[in-house]
Amino acid sequence: MSADDLLRVDDLHKRFGDEEVLKGVSFEMAPQDVQVLIGPSGSGKSTLLRCVNRLTEYEQGEITLDGTPTSEMDENDLRRQVGMVFQDFNLFAHRTAKGNVTLGLRQVLGLSKEEADSRAMAQLDQVGLADQADSYPAELSGGQKQRVGIARALAMDPKLLLFDEPTSALDPELIGEVLGVMRDLADQGMTMLCVTHEMGFARQAATDIMFLDGGQIVEHGPPDTLFEDPERERTGQFLERLTSLHGDDG
Amino acid sequence: MADRARVRVGTRTRRSLAKLVVGVAFWAWVVLRWLNDWAGGVVVPRQQPFVPPSLFTGLANGVPDVVPFVADALGAVAFAVEFLPTLVDAFWLTIVLTGVATVLGFCIAVPLAGARVYGRLSAWLALGYVELFRGTPLLAQLFVLYYGLPWLPAFFRELPWVGAGFLPGQAVFVAILGFTLNSAAYQAEYIRGAVESVDPGQLLAARSVGLSRIQGIRFVVFPQALRYAIPGWTNELVYLIKYSSLAAFITVPELFQAAQGIASTNYRYTALFVLSGLLYLALVVTATTLMEYVGNAVSVPGVSGTGSR
Amino acid sequence: MPCPVPVPGGLSPDWQYVLENACYLGDGLAVTIELTVVSLLVGFAAGLPAGVVEVYGHRSGSRPVRWASGLVRNAGVVLRGTPIVVIIMLTYFAAGISPAFLAATVSLGFRSAAYQAQIFRGAIESVDRGQMEAARAVGLSKVQSIRHVVLPQALRRSVPGFQNEVTIVLKDTSIAFAIGLAELLTNSYDLFQSIGHTTAIFEVILFVSGLYFVLTVSANRALEALNDAVAIPGGERG
Repeated sequence: MSADDLLRVDDLHKRFGDEEVLKGVSFEMAPQDVQVLIGPSGSGKSTLLRCVNRLTEYEQGEITLDGTPTSEMDENDLRRQVGMVFQDFNLFAHRTAKGNVTLGLRQVLGLSKEEADSRAMAQLDQVGLADQADSYPAELSGGQKQRVGIARALAMDPKLLLFDEPTSALDPELIGEVLGVMRDLADQGMTMLCVTHEMGFARQAATDIMFLDGGQIVEHGPPDTLFEDPERERTGQFLERLTSLHGDDG
Repeated sequence: MADRARVRVGTRTRRSLAKLVVGVAFWAWVVLRWLNDWAGGVVVPRQQPFVPPSLFTGLANGVPDVVPFVADALGAVAFAVEFLPTLVDAFWLTIVLTGVATVLGFCIAVPLAGARVYGRLSAWLALGYVELFRGTPLLAQLFVLYYGLPWLPAFFRELPWVGAGFLPGQAVFVAILGFTLNSAAYQAEYIRGAVESVDPGQLLAARSVGLSRIQGIRFVVFPQALRYAIPGWTNELVYLIKYSSLAAFITVPELFQAAQGIASTNYRYTALFVLSGLLYLALVVTATTLMEYVGNAVSVPGVSGTGSR
Repeated sequence: MPCPVPVPGGLSPDWQYVLENACYLGDGLAVTIELTVVSLLVGFAAGLPAGVVEVYGHRSGSRPVRWASGLVRNAGVVLRGTPIVVIIMLTYFAAGISPAFLAATVSLGFRSAAYQAQIFRGAIESVDRGQMEAARAVGLSKVQSIRHVVLPQALRRSVPGFQNEVTIVLKDTSIAFAIGLAELLTNSYDLFQSIGHTTAIFEVILFVSGLYFVLTVSANRALEALNDAVAIPGGERG
């Protein structure tokens, strides 16, 4: 644990009704870390992500972003600094690709129309969609939609990017283009916390992989360690199952 | 991941329990009133309140002037107690009009909807009917039937027992006819919408199992369609409850007519319209609560008109 | 009043009577249209905020907003559960709101607001929750999210329900008959109740029904055109 951790999660507990979904999760992330979160469904991975940007409130524990506890921050301010990419894309259906990116720039960051437009175009260019700027979400393929989602999150210039199973809703042949963008981001030094099943991506880009099961971190470590020589048997079993399903593509 | 923070409590909450108690008490009292009056005034003379209003005015006088609201409230109760019996008497006719017209309308609406969805020539005829009755005001339709076709009320008047005994006069029958025809058109549209929202794959699967088209529609499409239709149908029921008041304009002695009648003698328009409004409201709330209950009772996971998936 | 409508010869006396008085009916038609438009506007102005408050209000942090949400819900139940005849009588005779046109507009307008609130509420609730989440995740405040993301989509989805409401209000203007406002049905009643012409009632009502029908169809087509004009490209189905 170092003083210049970008993100620190301390003993996070979250219950829904009678069920405790997160049972004391703790971890840290340094700047430029790429943390991959894996685990069986229902283990609380998405919930954990949503607690980080406070889309879900939690009862116990503390989350600190760049030295400030998130509970003390204005929630809109927090979400300016932490971007999120959704499994179902959640693009604003009534706005073009460019419009999706400029909304936050204009309303949250207060940029002028020209500044917002040029920044949005630059961002769309970075994900390879400059020519689709005026298309509506319904006209785009799944992979294109997700890349717009990434551009939208990136445009806010966040310190941390959260990815909630970004490729799970995509047809297999479209997964590659999104993973490509994510890999480039990692190479450029973006701090990323990703929930994903894509083991190929994890092996290549992750600095650390966390295995979450039953609301707790069972094990974590660098990809090589976890894949070749996991400490716990559960980890190994789960990884094996995942790899046979999702393989090493990406 | 689903946000399970807002969990719906299915068991009785304190509030719904209170609502149930009030509802049952209200209807028990209404039925007692009806039975009393129909039996010729068994407990109290016809249209006389169970509890004399003088009791409340006496109480009101007894209350010291320091507490003005209580006296006023008691005065209002006394007024209500005095005139509710007459209103409740007419309330019966409102319920009859609504109930009969809804049921008869449903009988017409189902084949109408069927024609709209599955027919060829009949689809056009059905469309004409529906457009006609939904595109013109109900009041105009009632006027046509009552004033415009003078042989119609005459026809009803000639029928045996009409107007004598406990069968109401001819105006009521004309009103029922008018409401039935109108309601049938609206119900047909709700049912049609519901039938069309059933996945076409359902009928396909039914045919592939060997059922004929009619059987497929009857055993697979309609059971689902009727469940989807519940919200719209409830809507139509509430609509008819309220618009039964239009029958007053063709001399039917239902609730609104009764309120107007009393008000023209004592000029207490506000109080009487509020009282009758409360009775309509009670009927509407009862109807929606009942339909909610019915909807839950017949609900099947995944087939619901309430929009929850 | 001389009427420029030409009366072709050879018609039955009852039909002649109708056409001779076409302008009188035309006056009533004008009042009906005014009544409809004004009531719908009142209904929209009150109904849209009411719908938004009803959807988002009860979970708000502030007390007055929660209170407003409850008030809106209960007012809606009363307005939607009371016959329009009773509402208009209370407005005109009891509350003494005068003249009759104002009373009719207030009654029809606020009742329409109660129904429009439900239309907008349904439309807002049909917008996928993910839209709101994505808006919040970018840093937009709740109000900004409602304004820039939810409402634009909800309003588009409200058009069919609004279409329905337009035809209902149009036909219900006939209830102004009860307070003697000179709209279309009242004027037609005058015509067929006048001495010597009571046989013409069928023709009068038929003519008037035709007028209502034409109005309804035109309004529906106009709104369908609106629906197409504001549709989101790419085949979003409302």
